[in-house]
Amino acid sequence: MKYQESHLSAHHNYLVNGMLAQGFSVGDSGSRNGFFLLADIVPFSETAPRISARLMDEEARLLVELEANRIRENPGKGSIEHSLDGYRIVNFSGEVLMEVRTRAFANGYLTLLRARLFDEHGHLKVEPCDESICVYGGNYLSRGSNPKSEVIQGRLRQGKNFLHRFRGRLPVRDVSCLR
Amino acid sequence: MDTSSLAHGIWVFGDYRNYFQNRVTLQLIAKGRELAETLGTSVTAVLLGKEVHQFAMEYIAHGADVVMVAEHSALERYQVELYTSLIARWAEAFQPDILLGGATSFGREFFPRLAKRLKTGLSADCMNLSVDPDTGLLIQTTPAFGGNLLAEVITPRRRPQMATVHPGVFKELPHNVNATGRVVYPEIEVNAEERVRVLRSRRQQVRESNLEDAQVVIVGGWGLGSGEEFKTLFELAELLEGEVGATRPVVLAGWVDEGRLLGQTGKTVKPRLLISIATSGALQYTTAINGAETIIAINRDSHAPIFKMADLGLVGESSAVLPLLLETLRKRMSGARRR
Repeated sequence: MKYQESHLSAHHNYLVNGMLAQGFSVGDSGSRNGFFLLADIVPFSETAPRISARLMDEEARLLVELEANRIRENPGKGSIEHSLDGYRIVNFSGEVLMEVRTRAFANGYLTLLRARLFDEHGHLKVEPCDESICVYGGNYLSRGSNPKSEVIQGRLRQGKNFLHRFRGRLPVRDVSCLR
Repeated sequence: MDTSSLAHGIWVFGDYRNYFQNRVTLQLIAKGRELAETLGTSVTAVLLGKEVHQFAMEYIAHGADVVMVAEHSALERYQVELYTSLIARWAEAFQPDILLGGATSFGREFFPRLAKRLKTGLSADCMNLSVDPDTGLLIQTTPAFGGNLLAEVITPRRRPQMATVHPGVFKELPHNVNATGRVVYPEIEVNAEERVRVLRSRRQQVRESNLEDAQVVIVGGWGLGSGEEFKTLFELAELLEGEVGATRPVVLAGWVDEGRLLGQTGKTVKPRLLISIATSGALQYTTAINGAETIIAINRDSHAPIFKMADLGLVGESSAVLPLLLETLRKRMSGARRR
């Protein structure tokens, strides 16, 4: 039987590809030029998610660079609109680039993202699916305390076909070897 | 933790209905944790449903190493065939050594089916679980022969070793906000051609009783013979300013709602006076009334075990005794009021 897996926290998780993950990254999170999206692990003393990203448009132009929920570079003249449960990044024309909402449970938190993001080659890397996002390509679900340096459990399959199959059936790994 | 820990290990079925009041899954995870440390294996909570994220986090916080999740709109409501086929497929693929669940109304329907599907044994309504240090087998302690003795059951050849356990038997571990674990999403196939379709569901309206705090409790058993006869207990309780409790067969017969159930799966009482009428005195029931100061038992069978723990026993048919008791009490009450 095939399965997908990630690491979750009792305190705070993100929902990505329909799975709980205490952190994840898409692209090279150390990049100064390329695209990345980093949803960092939230320590139990905090409740807000930690999102860093370089948001690009379909033509691979940098719109906004975000570092720990704050705008660091802003060539696209975007802005942050805060709400009770999170915030959203909008561009100069009011179009929402990314929405971040955190749902509070009795004993924990779940952050849901909505975004349609492209990499430095103009390829679609992130898009909304169900109540959160699905990610394409080399993305990683974190295993340890820092997804930037720690590796990485459950590298997802690449390509759009995987995401279509993911809706309803969740294949990834064959565990027949475990028996 | 490496991926091989998914195979074998201890599984606990995640029953999150009526969470946070229903704690049986957390209690089983705690016991599973203890057993897993003895056996050198892991505890996996199995979770089916829709938008069950918070329960996955709760199970990790309360001691599970892994949560195995099936998220699907078809799983939003409990459907016994669907749940059985899913868990059976997973169990066949991952081969858990032990599979535990709550001895709730849900567990009573679901677990026997699952055991049959997996061609393994099931010990229902267990009161304790331990590991045989020599064989590593799960020792399942469960009432037998009408609750008159406790049997220790093992499943030496088939896997998984399956048991259901009463709520409240084990203590849950405290919530650990720092806990982390794995979440696994096996592939699922939801067959739309289920033989049973749930058209709608409605929560039963239950009148709240104050059994736990009552100073006088009247308990009726199956020996009363009918729901009509059982209703007379409410008259008796009213006269004595008490509450009415019931044994499991009475609840299963629908004479009263489950909120009045006394026993391992129900409430425990500590009244000053408890009158036990037409109850045999099965262990599952008597553990819930041990704390009563004075117990009066009425039963037609002079050998009924209830007489062994009663302070005062009356051998007779309840249909004969109850009217006399009611009449006498009414006279005394009206006499007292006149004075």
